[in-house]
Amino acid sequence: MKRPTTIPIGPQHPAFLEPLNIGLELEEERVVGATLNLGYNHRGMEYALALDYKKTQYLVERVCGICSNHHSAAYCQTMEDIYDIEVPVRAKVIRTIMMECQRITSHLLALGHTAETMGYENLFMQCFRERELAMRLVNEISGNRVHYSINVIGGIKRDMDAGMERHTANVMRELRPLLEDLRDVFARDNTLVKRMKDVGVLTNEQARDWCTVGPVARASGLPQDIREDGFAAYDMIDLKPVVRDEGDCYARTMVRMDECLHSIDLIEECLKLLDEGPVIMTVKGHPTGEGLSRVEAPRGELLYHVKAIGGLQLDRIKIRTPAFLNVPSVQAMLPGSRLADVPLITVSVDPCICCTDR
Amino acid sequence: MSMLRSSLRNLFQRPVTTAYPNVQADLPQSNRGRVMWEMSKCIYCRRCERVCPTNAISTNKEAKSQTIVRNRCITCNACVEVCPTQTISMVADYSKPDLAPTVHIFSANLPDYNFRVEHLPRGSGSRRPDEVTND
Repeated sequence: MKRPTTIPIGPQHPAFLEPLNIGLELEEERVVGATLNLGYNHRGMEYALALDYKKTQYLVERVCGICSNHHSAAYCQTMEDIYDIEVPVRAKVIRTIMMECQRITSHLLALGHTAETMGYENLFMQCFRERELAMRLVNEISGNRVHYSINVIGGIKRDMDAGMERHTANVMRELRPLLEDLRDVFARDNTLVKRMKDVGVLTNEQARDWCTVGPVARASGLPQDIREDGFAAYDMIDLKPVVRDEGDCYARTMVRMDECLHSIDLIEECLKLLDEGPVIMTVKGHPTGEGLSRVEAPRGELLYHVKAIGGLQLDRIKIRTPAFLNVPSVQAMLPGSRLADVPLITVSVDPCICCTDR
Repeated sequence: MSMLRSSLRNLFQRPVTTAYPNVQADLPQSNRGRVMWEMSKCIYCRRCERVCPTNAISTNKEAKSQTIVRNRCITCNACVEVCPTQTISMVADYSKPDLAPTVHIFSANLPDYNFRVEHLPRGSGSRRPDEVTND
């Protein structure tokens, strides 16, 4: 019997934005085995985060550039759990708006990246053009484009005035037809559909076995969405998780696309919930005790566990990021596929190595 | 087909991008660009220095000055919020790009919001002036 050929893909590869290495075993063009090798981006952040709990809220955003707001929201929620306080409703609603805005920007980046991996540069640029509207909106609301620094323990830093509420509604109205056009392209374009259908299939059982979360799990028919637990303002709005059954690259892409459109619905609902009121409450004393909080980041469930010992310094921060669970599942998707599809399959799980390695 | 439609539409549209260094960037008014001091109000309480998550700010009470390493600042707004006399504010535009790490020194001798520009030696990263050795 012929021995399979072993070739490495990565850590530096044109299709990947961040360093990850896949050891592929090939028979001719077919992949028969894949081993994932991570750790190129390890920065020891969990140790650095525990040094000063007041400065940590700025550092947690730096864990990941694309879901920075979800990280700081999860951290602030955990600290609020330790202090045992309930943040004002208006702060919760604005947090939700920011999280949904970031979901749109993150998913559009993933979609554009998927298109680029297939050589569809035109669509990639179109995705990024639409994304710019959302990026500009968050810049206007929070003051920053990527790391918003808007969440603090006890609420949010910057309130939205009436003009900004109207502006947000206008931007959402402007964004919806653009995203619907984009959805049309992703759903019906021949090149895209033929390239993505039945490629990199992750069955329902495999998705469960590999503990996938977020869009990857939902594309394989697991109706798993932490937003249904009702953190922030999600218990006040009408949430419908987007679930598909195929489990291939096409399903994962379409789940992201539909979630972008659903995020617009959610933001519009949130804008109606905005009532007058405070956005921040004062928090006194150093935290003591343990807290746990979960947030649905663009890539799935993000879990924070903090142990505080009554000083500036925290005892331990444990972060479990969604990419940490999703990225290993490519080992189940790759066997059986062709070599040319490997970058596409890897990109379709939206691998965030910054999150995975921390 | 659907892509053909949008491609044709894009063909007759003006470019979305701007020629940035030649054309001024269109920043929103609420953008957090860089931190500025109104030194006539400053009481040198060092709160901004202590609260800064990246240690970008250093206060010198004797020389009556505030020093900020621009490359270190992450525009998180923490110093603006903590200031008891509303000395610190944020302006929308960014500081100009430079070849060496830029240090801006605000002092009581200069008019409000004016600063003296100094450069750290090239290759010193974004360390603070007191962390840079002269070797």
